[in-house]
Amino acid sequence: MSEKNKEQTRLFTRMVAEKQGWKLNPDPSFYEDLVEGLMNNYNRYGYFLCPCRDSDGSREADKNSICPCLWSRQDILEYGNCFCALYISQSLAASGKQPSSIPDRRYEA
Amino acid sequence: MNLNELDYQVVEGSRRDHEVVIYALSTCGFCKRAISFLKDKDYAFRYIHLDQIPLETKNEIKQVLRERFKENPAFPFAVIDDSRHLIGFIQPDWEKTLGL
Repeated sequence: MSEKNKEQTRLFTRMVAEKQGWKLNPDPSFYEDLVEGLMNNYNRYGYFLCPCRDSDGSREADKNSICPCLWSRQDILEYGNCFCALYISQSLAASGKQPSSIPDRRYEA
Repeated sequence: MNLNELDYQVVEGSRRDHEVVIYALSTCGFCKRAISFLKDKDYAFRYIHLDQIPLETKNEIKQVLRERFKENPAFPFAVIDDSRHLIGFIQPDWEKTLGL
C-alpha cells in the first residue's frame, strides 16, 4: 500500500469539499491538524479514517467512518460542520463563526 | 480493567481543583485543543491516546467508560473527579465544569 503525504491528503479534502459543495475548516492550524490526522490514519490503516473517530479494528467495522463519513451530510445540514470539523457548510463559512464539537452519530441506533 | 493502571501522559500544573483524565485520539483536532486548553490554564491532568495502544486494551477501556457513564465513547472523553464526564470540546462547558 503506497503512503500518502500531506499534499495528497489536502488534495483529497479539497476534492471532497468541492464535490459536496462544502468548505474546508477556515482555521489554518485546525485544518492542518486534521490533514495530518487523516494522513496518519491512511498510512496506518489503509483508508482515510475520520481523525476524530477511533478504529474498531477493521475496514469493515470502520467503513461508515471513512472520510467523508456516513453522517457528514446530515451533520453539516444540522450543525454546520462534520464531526471532526474538517468540512463546514457554505453558510457557516459565510457567517465567520468557528465550527464546534458536535455529538457523534456513530453509535446512534 | 483498572483504568488507573494505564500508561497515561501526566501533565503537571499549578491548578488541580479537580482530577481530570482525558481519553483522546492523537489524530483529533478537538482532542488537541482540549489538551492545549488545559496546558494553557496550567491545569494538572492526565491523558492517553487510545489510537496508539493495542486494540484489545482500548476496547476494554471503551467498555469501562460505556458501562460507567452510560455513553458511547467519543473523543475527547474527559473524566472529572472519577465521577463526571465531558464529551467533545466545547470550551465554555469545560470552563464551567472546571471552574475556570
